[in-house]
Amino acid sequence: MTSNSSIGGLLRRPEAGAFLGLVAVLIFFAIFGGVTFLKPAGMSSWLNVAANLGVIAIPVGLLMIAGELDISVGAMVPLGAMTVAVVSGHFGLSIWLGVALTLSFGVIVGLINGYMVIRTAVPSLIVTLGSLFAVQGIVLGLTVLITKSTSVALATEGPAKAIFGDFVLGGQLQAMVIWWLIVTAFYIFFVHFSRFGNWIFAMGGDKVSARNAGIPTERLTITLFVLSSTSAAFVGMCQAILYNSAQVAGGQSFIFNAIISVVVGGVLLTGGFGSVVGIFFGTITFAIVNQGIYYTDFDRNWSSLIIGVLLLLAVLMNNTFRKMALSYSSKKKGAKT
Amino acid sequence: MKLSTFTKVMATTALVAMTATATLAADIAVIGGSNDDAFWNKIKKGLDDATPAVVANGGSVNYLRLVNYDNFAPDVVQLIRTAISMEVDGLVIPDWVPEAEDPAIKEAIAAGITVILMNAGGADKARELGAINYVGNEEYPAGVAGGEYFASHGQKNVLCVNTLPGATNTEARCKGVSDAITAAGGKSTQLPLPTTSFGDATAVAEAIKAEILKDETIDGVITISAGDADSAAIGIEQSGRAAAISLASFDMNEAGLARIKAGTQTFSIDQQPYLQGYLSVSILASAIDFGTSLPTFPILTGPGIVDASNIDATLAGVEKGAR
Repeated sequence: MTSNSSIGGLLRRPEAGAFLGLVAVLIFFAIFGGVTFLKPAGMSSWLNVAANLGVIAIPVGLLMIAGELDISVGAMVPLGAMTVAVVSGHFGLSIWLGVALTLSFGVIVGLINGYMVIRTAVPSLIVTLGSLFAVQGIVLGLTVLITKSTSVALATEGPAKAIFGDFVLGGQLQAMVIWWLIVTAFYIFFVHFSRFGNWIFAMGGDKVSARNAGIPTERLTITLFVLSSTSAAFVGMCQAILYNSAQVAGGQSFIFNAIISVVVGGVLLTGGFGSVVGIFFGTITFAIVNQGIYYTDFDRNWSSLIIGVLLLLAVLMNNTFRKMALSYSSKKKGAKT
Repeated sequence: MKLSTFTKVMATTALVAMTATATLAADIAVIGGSNDDAFWNKIKKGLDDATPAVVANGGSVNYLRLVNYDNFAPDVVQLIRTAISMEVDGLVIPDWVPEAEDPAIKEAIAAGITVILMNAGGADKARELGAINYVGNEEYPAGVAGGEYFASHGQKNVLCVNTLPGATNTEARCKGVSDAITAAGGKSTQLPLPTTSFGDATAVAEAIKAEILKDETIDGVITISAGDADSAAIGIEQSGRAAAISLASFDMNEAGLARIKAGTQTFSIDQQPYLQGYLSVSILASAIDFGTSLPTFPILTGPGIVDASNIDATLAGVEKGAR
């Protein structure tokens, strides 16, 4: 940490590659997307997408650093949206009750995921694949049973609308952007400036040794699963409040998009390496690539191809820099480089 | 009158009555989706409303519903065989899975049952099988109706937002819109969204906003589903060009109807499932009972346009479960 002031030290940080990837795609779309892409309306276009994804991607990334995976977030987004829409829209109860129930469901599913993972020793990919389908089924079944429809309207007014689902700061950015910045700051502290962070990295490196060293791995695993599923439910809830409507389907794209953002952000798929700031940059990179297309003149039928190639380039760039950074040593007397 | 004479008269009367019922009045079986399927409940409301007229002429309507969709094709075929064994006079059937259903439908027709296809199958399939008609929706004409509505209301450049590019029905919808507007001298481009955006309302909204900002001649946006219109509404609002852009959607939901009522959405295109139930039963009963035949083939129940002019009646229909 002492060499942070030098360029080599900065490049050695896990988020350095992610930041360079971000700069690269930003330049790419600034060239092909023109001025509109960098105007406030254009910037909000990817910042809003990044915010919604980022709130989910960071806890998913932390789980990946700790050697776990949570794909049930794909079902938690529609669950969150539908819970608040059914409670506060269909039944017309207080929005705060809807918010409280939504977050409670997030906590409950997270607890179930966490307990199943530590009790059964089944890989978390499989456990959360199970809960992904189970929760999707519950959302569809209960929604149709209660409302006889797969789409529920929700009209929110007052402070709840302003806090969870409105546009702020000049009317272009979603309130979610503020939430994203707040939770990112919280996670940075939690991971990089408290002992919990070291525990997470230790778990991802070697779980058995981590437990032998006295780290409460089980409690930490459950906490991380609760964070990811609650965050996903929160995002779904805010989207329902913002768009005044909730659909049973949807949300699955968050699974892949979150994992992509995390990997572009420099987290190793095998765990044990990564950073919150890296995931933050990775999420922005993904959002720019995903939304930047619309500011270019490329035929829209090629969108997916461009997204795929750019993301792959971002990861390759990231990996190259990580290798360079890890093999870098500061200049010593007599050394050639 | 002697008891034996009385008995004879009564028995003869009963026999005549029974014979009359069997030969003249239509006993109709309708096969359809499960009770917890909101769409099929609207169809059921239609056939329930048509039933009294059939009963008044001495016939009956029997709704054979799928309990669930777990064992779809075999269950549907089983229901067709049930209808044949009930010796009904008429059968209303959606041809969801032609490979599985067609042999059974042909069997029904061979057994003397008058068949009408409803909801799924299409006109060509009805002709091929020997059904008397097809009552339902077709995607391309629905798109054309949307395009014509835009054109007649002055829109010149309409964006068709397709969150499921490549699917036959959504492509047909966007193509219909494009063909109709092009014929009227305007244009329509399709915006195919990548799968990374599917189900993420913000990604859809921001993509639409970006397209609107980029091409300032866009004055209309239509989405392939009602849920996407919720995203589009926010995207349009955020572009700052809400006054200049007219929003429409295929299918409708509660939030969309509220927007039409409030004036922030221009119209929705509905396939009107109520009419599918109502018309198929009425037409079939009339054909069996009175030998009527319709020159209209197929009978399209959609597209029905819901806009400011009929939003109040539509909302009343929603209340009653017909829309």
